[in-house]
Amino acid sequence: MAPKGQHKYSVLLPTYNERENLPIITWMLVKAFKDNELDFEIIIIDDASPDGTLEIAKQLQAAFGADRIVLRPRAGKLGLGTAYIHGIEHATGDYVFIMDADMSHHPKFIPDFIKKQKEGNFDVVTGTRYALGGGVHGWDLRRKLTSRVANFLADTLLTPGVSDLTGSFRLYKKPVLEAMIRATKSKGYVFQMEMMVRARQMNFTIGEVPITFVDRVFGESKLGAAEIVGYLKGLITLAMDI
Amino acid sequence: MGKRAQSILLVFAAGTAAWVLLMLHSVLIPFVPVPQYLDEIAPVLPLWLLVAFGAYSLASIGYALVTFGDCPEAYMSLLKEINEAKTDLKRRGVQID
Ligand SMILES: Nc1nc2c(ncn2[C@@H]2O[C@H](COP(=O)(O)OP(=O)(O)O)[C@@H](O)[C@H]2O)c(=O)[nH]1
Ligand SMILES: [Mg+2]
Repeated sequence: MAPKGQHKYSVLLPTYNERENLPIITWMLVKAFKDNELDFEIIIIDDASPDGTLEIAKQLQAAFGADRIVLRPRAGKLGLGTAYIHGIEHATGDYVFIMDADMSHHPKFIPDFIKKQKEGNFDVVTGTRYALGGGVHGWDLRRKLTSRVANFLADTLLTPGVSDLTGSFRLYKKPVLEAMIRATKSKGYVFQMEMMVRARQMNFTIGEVPITFVDRVFGESKLGAAEIVGYLKGLITLAMDI
Repeated sequence: MGKRAQSILLVFAAGTAAWVLLMLHSVLIPFVPVPQYLDEIAPVLPLWLLVAFGAYSLASIGYALVTFGDCPEAYMSLLKEINEAKTDLKRRGVQID
């Protein structure tokens, strides 16, 4: 494979109990990058998943090569925010994709992100489920309502000018991501929102591309009462801070 | 407290002050003529604002909910790809259970 252009894309893939999803998302990522003749690496940050995700990751590394699949495991479940920091420390690309490993984010949109980024030389390109051409599959009314209320509150309190604040499928220029992570204090769901708010404050430019989101086919999503309370607390803390 | 919280507080304080001034204009600023209809709406103004904001919130959440985009075709094609991926991964020696 002869990579076109001089850019390299690092994908940060945090995993916790994604034994079933990780091989398939990795396969789809490799396919998307190879089909589009792009240089890439996939950095898997596994937090000692009890289901043995790391073992599968090692098999993937053997199958696709250590230059393509980079393993950055950690000894315990330390959370998503620090997982990104840990992953980016070893990223060799000049651009970084952040996405979930549960196949809710489909690698087929990667060329759209890259095209958008080039169009406006954007610092950040964020995937939106709430624009024409986007959508969500597999959510019941309660889950949809939760998402809409969460977005409405965040929109009203933070006015970030991004249509899908809680989404987390994004492309960043690497130094921009580093600066944004350093400025971000929240954890959990608010982390992704704060990243966008800080991006605006730091005058980074943000582009949006529509994406479809298919709720996880394998495994359980973790949205419960505790996450909702955590979200509201985090949102208020953030609104007071900006 | 950040800049945003400060400006929200400022707007809120200014609004409250303006409302108090309106309510007590005959005492505080007797020399300024105030039309009578303002006297009539002044007492219900804060409640009206609250209700208006609530209605706006409900309407925009409701509209967003009704127009929530579904993407069944994305789900169907994902299922197909999962099978394709599994076959190829097994061939490459990755354990699939
Ligand atoms: N490394 C690491 N990954 C995590 C952790 N928590 C969640 N993840 C991963 O982060 C992504 C999003 O998590 P998910 O449970 O799907 O969140 P949801 O989609 O918001 O319900 C998935 O790839 C998870 O495997 C964690 O503590 N550490
Ligand atoms: Mg998920």
